Amino acid sequence: MKAIQVKQVGGPEAMQMVDLPVPEPKSNEAVIKLAASGVNFIDVYYREGRYKAPVPLIPGQEGAGEVVAVGRDVTSVKNGERVAWTAALGCYAEYAAVAADRLVRIPPGVSDQQAAATMLQGMTAHYLLYDTFPLKRGDTALVHAAAGGVGLLLVQMAHEIGARIIATVSTEEKAKLARGAGADEVILYTQQDFEAETKRLTDGKGVDVVYDSVGKTTFEKGLNLLRPRGMMVLFGGSSGAVPPFDPIILTQKGSLYLTRPSLGNYIATREELVSRSGAVFGMIAAGKLKLRIEHTYPLAEAQRAHRDLEGRKTTGKLLLIP
Amino acid sequence: MKAIRVEHIGGPEVLQLVDVPIPQAKAAEAVVKVNVAGVNSIDTQFRDGRLRTPVPFIPGHEGAGVITAVGPQVKAVRGGDRVAWSGTLGSYAEYVAAPEEHLVPVPHSITDDQATAAMVHGLTAHYLVNDAHKLKAGETALVHAAAGGVGLLVVQMAHAIGARVIGTASSDEKAQLAREAGADAVIIFTRQDFEAEVKRLTAGKGVDVVYDGVGKATFEKNLNVMRLRGMLVLYGMSSGAVPPVDPAKLSEKGSLYMARTTLAHFTATREELLARTSALFAMIADGRLHMRIAKKYPLADAAQSHRDLEGRHFAGKLLLVP
Repeated sequence: MKAIQVKQVGGPEAMQMVDLPVPEPKSNEAVIKLAASGVNFIDVYYREGRYKAPVPLIPGQEGAGEVVAVGRDVTSVKNGERVAWTAALGCYAEYAAVAADRLVRIPPGVSDQQAAATMLQGMTAHYLLYDTFPLKRGDTALVHAAAGGVGLLLVQMAHEIGARIIATVSTEEKAKLARGAGADEVILYTQQDFEAETKRLTDGKGVDVVYDSVGKTTFEKGLNLLRPRGMMVLFGGSSGAVPPFDPIILTQKGSLYLTRPSLGNYIATREELVSRSGAVFGMIAAGKLKLRIEHTYPLAEAQRAHRDLEGRKTTGKLLLIP
Repeated sequence: MKAIRVEHIGGPEVLQLVDVPIPQAKAAEAVVKVNVAGVNSIDTQFRDGRLRTPVPFIPGHEGAGVITAVGPQVKAVRGGDRVAWSGTLGSYAEYVAAPEEHLVPVPHSITDDQATAAMVHGLTAHYLVNDAHKLKAGETALVHAAAGGVGLLVVQMAHAIGARVIGTASSDEKAQLAREAGADAVIIFTRQDFEAEVKRLTAGKGVDVVYDGVGKATFEKNLNVMRLRGMLVLYGMSSGAVPPVDPAKLSEKGSLYMARTTLAHFTATREELLARTSALFAMIADGRLHMRIAKKYPLADAAQSHRDLEGRHFAGKLLLVP
């Protein structure tokens, strides 16, 4: 089968197309023929070695397709079923072997591409808003990278909840998208200091929560913008990892909460995985969540996909089609 | 009037008894005759310079007494009122001038000793279990320094809420006090590794919340004893400041939450302060909350009180009597 492989961590050129045997399922696994795999910033972190995994590795943590083989002990899925998953690595390929207890069935009303586009990012937006900091009607949230993959979903869901959303983006085009998704205020951080502007927009009171996937360049200002006892939800680091900091700063800035969540800990049990993916699929099927899948690339063009993502040229979801 | 003054920061010996003028009330202040002043860990931190304030200064943030004079703008209190306070520097003295918003009325049903002990320690315990992490029946809480000033109160409150309480303490005597206060299990950390023991006591699952006023000595292990998505409430640093924290650690150890809190943010309005003190005084008056007074010193012996506090000799509140 064709697959994208990283033999040595590095830039986008580290990803090479190779021919590998189609995997055989272990007793607890199923093999899926991928219809689409989702591209996520976390793929970049593995490719460049910021997150560690043994090489050679096949990047990609999100996929959807049809079950073509099941292991001896698998009873939860059958050949021919449409399934989706987000799991450790291996999705930039034509086939993937995945632990069966990590597979969820894709319901009618949701396409393979929609499923591949939302497993990781949709469930991320969901857990952030419903569990990490349960956002309530009337809360004010600051959302960075609001036109990104997670961003657009986060803004739509937060809008549905009835929170006031202050979004930051880098271009006018992205600002339009964020507004369209339901952001109440949009700040072009490339033109304006988002700290000063958010203070102005909140009459100096600050926001209840910051959802920050950008990290290094936004963290400190985010702390300045939280109202006392507010929460910094640091769920990514696209500008770089936040370096170690003196926790007394949290006290000085208002006895703040900090959390650095990761999706795996919010779908740790099968029960939670099924419930969370079900909630996201439900929103898609009901038309409540609009997905932007503007950028689809053939599997062979994975390098270009990463360049586009890292160059911040893209909005919404990027998919690789084997 | 007699007062304890710090001319240079340093060890307990820098607490010198001096004779200084009785303070005058500014427009929104009242002068209070101090009946009892509370000794707190934070006093030692101002005395030795870990926390900064210009010298010379009179230490002490807490006490109970009677109002002898009010400034022209004061509305909330009157001469003759029996009051208690926290947050007003200058309490190690016969008189202190305090902003009116710090002064809370003390009911007849409780003593000056109880009122004083209820201020910094009581307010802290109250905000910890009601707000920093709202403790629920059935949860498991790890309470460090469970026989300390704040610790004994957190244990009592947590027990009353119906939580399972695991405490840590440095001796058998202190462990016994913590057990009497309602702790279900107490780990004598000088003999046992609290990390291993907490894991054993929770069948490997970890606790829901850690209430920690110790800081440096316990931080790393705290991250290892919490369940997935558990909460670390860091409210003090009696063993020293926690070194810089890498947010990625919070993710790695289970998408943990951390708050680094201080009392001021939980008593930011007079309304909030009075709500807490009313609740505390009521609990004390009807016997639900027991304030353990470990020792009372004449004002002149303030240095000894700091030696005793830092040497962790006593369990319970230390008081100074001018």
